[in-house]
Amino acid sequence: MLANFFLYIVQGISITIGVTLVALPAGLLLGLGFALINTYGGPWLKRLSAAYSLLMRGVPPIVLLFILYFILSGNVVNLTPFWAGSIALGIISSAYQMEILRGALLSIGGGQMTAARAVGMTRLQSIQHIILPQALRIAIPPWSNEASIVLKDSSLVYALGVPEVLRRAQQLSATTQQPMLAFGAAALIYFVLVFLVNRGLDALAEKTKLPTQTA
Amino acid sequence: MKRLYFWFALIAVFGLVLAACGGAGGNTHLDKVKQAGLIKVGTSADYPPFEYVDENGNKAGFDIELMEEIAKQLGVKVEWVDMPFDSLIAGVQEGKLDASISAFNYTEERDQVVDFSIAYYDGEDAFAVSEGFSGTLAQPEDVVAYKVGVQNGTTQDGWLTELVEQGLLPEANLSRYDRADQAALDLKNGRIEVMLADAIPMKALVQQLGGLKIAYEGVVSSGPINVVLPNGDTELTQAVNDIIKKLQAEGFVDALAIKHFGQ
Repeated sequence: MLANFFLYIVQGISITIGVTLVALPAGLLLGLGFALINTYGGPWLKRLSAAYSLLMRGVPPIVLLFILYFILSGNVVNLTPFWAGSIALGIISSAYQMEILRGALLSIGGGQMTAARAVGMTRLQSIQHIILPQALRIAIPPWSNEASIVLKDSSLVYALGVPEVLRRAQQLSATTQQPMLAFGAAALIYFVLVFLVNRGLDALAEKTKLPTQTA
Repeated sequence: MKRLYFWFALIAVFGLVLAACGGAGGNTHLDKVKQAGLIKVGTSADYPPFEYVDENGNKAGFDIELMEEIAKQLGVKVEWVDMPFDSLIAGVQEGKLDASISAFNYTEERDQVVDFSIAYYDGEDAFAVSEGFSGTLAQPEDVVAYKVGVQNGTTQDGWLTELVEQGLLPEANLSRYDRADQAALDLKNGRIEVMLADAIPMKALVQQLGGLKIAYEGVVSSGPINVVLPNGDTELTQAVNDIIKKLQAEGFVDALAIKHFGQ
């Protein structure tokens, strides 16, 4: 009987991973766009992206989830709970990823841009070929932090009726009255997932390390 | 940089496709449900014996079997959506669910945003305490002298909140929990002295956890239990009501109660 229950919790992993696989790349694309705008854009674009970052980091993820699913979805666009939850988490994450990438972009010395322009590159070419390849590598370690946060925040989608790992553990706890067992299993699953993600990103950071990076 | 433009274009197209996905139809809600052959029903499967997940991971319980039967008589299948209890009303209100069944009592606040079927069962409330409890709970209002726990958003929560608003029960002495089993565990751990819930799940929790007992039982805030349906949806409500009446007359509901509640 317990084996069946564990199997039931484990089935939630695909949803946990699915939500993360939507939210994290969506957040990366949006975050990268806003980071570039904020670093190289004009004063108004800078203000706009800074306001976006402030707003999205200030809103609790669950509130945005409810707004997107219960209020906007159905009236504006028709989203399933899975997509509404994943997109909401991606939007929140984009603000954090924007700040991570902005820091990485700014850490590339201004002299490199000047040098790139001096050999005849346009501003866009300089960003694309000189700044970004370095900044993205530098951003990997702090980004792995955000990746594990998004993975764990994916449990919030249960509030919209998506049965991921944590909700399944809650049901198991309610039926068996063995919360230690149920939540212990959920904790173990999250730990293993985060461990694998962080190890993978560590390896990626090591492999793509810049010659100039000491760490 | 061209690549970047490509991504932005892709996102824009993606947004448009999503926007186009919203369909429309002209018939009543009941017709749509029948056409789809599927009724989307919300429940919070953490409230045995009304609704829970059994050892095989399937939904089970009194409400689950009743709703499956109602759907069968409507000629449709149930698509279960499991949500936290306090999301269920919003789900029906915003049209995300066709109905919700989760041991719902009628309240005026809920009635303003959703409709209720006729009652399919009559509920009572119960106060649970630890076996060593030495206080008195001769009547429900005696609860104000103790630390009380309750599930968030339930009618019991509403009743206790009223006591707080009247200044009888100190706010600090009322603990609200996401789920009933959390409150019961806290009662067992001694963080609260009294827990108030629907009598049937309360008794199930007392029996399962041990070391607890029922100190008072009767109608406090509970009462008729109904299916939650969309506001103003007379056709669907009428159809569900007719089926509930029929099932009650046939003794189906009583048989279910004996099976799940032992009474």
